[in-house]
Amino acid sequence: MSFNIGIAKKWVLVIDDMESMRTQLRLSLSSSGFAKLHLVGSIKEALERVAANKYDVIVCDYLLGDGTDGQQFLKHLRTNDLITRNTIFVMITAEQAFEKVMAASECAPDDYLLKPFTAAQFNARLEKLLEKQEYFSLIDKASDAKNLVKVIAECDKRLPAKDKYYVDLCKIKAAVLMHDGRPQEAAELYREVIALRPVAWAKLGLARALSVLDKKDEAQVLVREILVDTPQFMAAYDFLSKMLVSSGEKHAALDVLQKAREITPGAMSRIRELSNLAVSAGRPELAEEVMRQGLQIHKYSPVREANDYAVLSKALVDQGKAVEALSVVADAQKSFNDEHSSALLSATESVAHRAAGNHEKAEIAIAKAMAVGDLSKLPTHTVISLADACFVMGKEEEAAGFLRHAIQNNHENASIISKVHDVLTAAGKDATEASAIIEASTQEVILLNNEGVRKAEAGQLEEAIELLCKAANRLPNNLQIVGNAALVIALDLERNGNDPAKLAKCLRYRTALIKKSPDHPKLVQIDGLLKQLTR
Amino acid sequence: MPPDLYAAVVHDVKNQLAELSLRLSERGDAQQEMVIAINAARRLSEMLLMHRQANDLLSVNADTVSPADFMAILAAEFRELFPKTTIEIDTGKAPVFAFFDDALVRMALANALHNACRAAHSKVHLAAYERDKMLVLEVSDDGPGYPGNLLKTGGVEPSPVSRRGTGLGLHLAGKIAGLHQLENRRGHIELSNASGAVFRMMLP
Repeated sequence: MSFNIGIAKKWVLVIDDMESMRTQLRLSLSSSGFAKLHLVGSIKEALERVAANKYDVIVCDYLLGDGTDGQQFLKHLRTNDLITRNTIFVMITAEQAFEKVMAASECAPDDYLLKPFTAAQFNARLEKLLEKQEYFSLIDKASDAKNLVKVIAECDKRLPAKDKYYVDLCKIKAAVLMHDGRPQEAAELYREVIALRPVAWAKLGLARALSVLDKKDEAQVLVREILVDTPQFMAAYDFLSKMLVSSGEKHAALDVLQKAREITPGAMSRIRELSNLAVSAGRPELAEEVMRQGLQIHKYSPVREANDYAVLSKALVDQGKAVEALSVVADAQKSFNDEHSSALLSATESVAHRAAGNHEKAEIAIAKAMAVGDLSKLPTHTVISLADACFVMGKEEEAAGFLRHAIQNNHENASIISKVHDVLTAAGKDATEASAIIEASTQEVILLNNEGVRKAEAGQLEEAIELLCKAANRLPNNLQIVGNAALVIALDLERNGNDPAKLAKCLRYRTALIKKSPDHPKLVQIDGLLKQLTR
Repeated sequence: MPPDLYAAVVHDVKNQLAELSLRLSERGDAQQEMVIAINAARRLSEMLLMHRQANDLLSVNADTVSPADFMAILAAEFRELFPKTTIEIDTGKAPVFAFFDDALVRMALANALHNACRAAHSKVHLAAYERDKMLVLEVSDDGPGYPGNLLKTGGVEPSPVSRRGTGLGLHLAGKIAGLHQLENRRGHIELSNASGAVFRMMLP
């Protein structure tokens, strides 16, 4: 059996730890005419293959035997842009329960095969998937290029036919409208789908749009409906808990995340969210339970991070279990010894030693943590943990310095600002004082940014570039600044002619911006100027 | 034995059957044995679903599906399993897209189609169309038809083991259909005899 001539050119990657399954898939794929096949037995090998090759089809077993499952692998591929939109991802599962959870996740595979399946079943489904791949190829290409206008235009071309992909087209278009800052139109499109059938993803899409349109109550009612009708729709729990946190209802958010955890106990991103929230809501015993269970599930998996142990240690210290905390830190130090993790774990260790009454050891640990080099290269949660430890150790000035960096590097990130606020209140500042400290650091960075923009407008491009680039290097997460740095260099290039070194610098900031925020409004301005150059 | 342990054992045996069918499929001379292993594994999947349903864990996630594609995939699979049976498809009157839980409905229809292929003299007919604002998925064969007692209960209760299988499949199909609800309409199944057995699943 073979479907069409193009098949022989398609690259296929099969990931299965069972050799017999690889053999069956190889047989059925090559009998259908696929010629470019790679078959591997582990995620590690798969990642190497994906880095070196562009695949059209990936077939992956859900259970891979090394702790990380196929769903986490897919999430990793998608969030890191390791595969294109148009890549077909087929998951093989042994149990329908996994399938249900995956189908309702944000990052769903294109299809599932429930074991056992026959070669004909596999081929028939692949044929339909390839037909869909072809249909969506232009739209997917535009999505990969972040060309939102083109995605919408291509969808609009196909929507009037009301063919079998009509609802898929609506889903894509509505998501792009949201990204493009057009929530009103997105809401209307989601409502159209809901009128056909109130499917969970359309209701969640509508809830997201309503929340942006400041109709938070209406959004909450919708999400609660989803949780009753489709309890395995995990994205709804995450959205609802974020909404509750942002309105200050931490305990209600905890309840929502706990319900989600009952359904997918192993989802590490939610375990992290839940345990951090529990610590911040004054429920360290819950944080301990959740994180201990998570680390147990992922005992041998690379998805664990040093920060997971740091959070667990904090939860233990908060309960007065300093000795246990120290053993958790020691355990983590065995697995994580890179520079960043070491700094984080030393800070954590100092807090635990201090709580255990080992003042000398606490001082040694905090000194080691503070010796960390360039702050701009550290993950923000580590910088915040350093500040927290410094406060505990009575080093107010150093703590303030770390927090100032965390704020200025993320002044538009509400969740980080809220963490900073938690650290300040834990250190004994009252809420007004904490807000004032945050506001002062924020103002400083806004002034710096405005100064750069003012210089650029006054034609002092060299000065503007120097100021903004220096700031962008120090605060790589601050997208306002990174974006403006790229923009002033682009402006200089457009006015004063091309300069390869400057262009490279500009593109470096532009890439950093795309990586963190693919739909950042500054990109349009930057690209507009760069286009003039090539004329 | 606690129910969860039952489920775990059933799950394990099902996976072993899946592995067995895989090995049989690699041999050119064991097609019929592979069909038996696949079918046995399916029955256990149904049992696991029943277990989930009995514990209120079974829920429907309806999304967009093309009935024509759905039937084509189903037919391809069973043409391989029953090479001597002719499987015809008629989806000309089906809507281009519909909304149902692809995975669950597939399992229910696969069971009905399996029964039909076993009972059929030579032909099985698959159809999808709309009737009274419901999507109808139909499987009919040219065999001896359903026995009277099954027609009476309509497959609502698990029927005793017979030549047409355990009866669990029909019972589960009814449950799966019933989980599909829209406004005041609810899915259901319908059994009848024409020139053979006719299985219909009606979905809102």
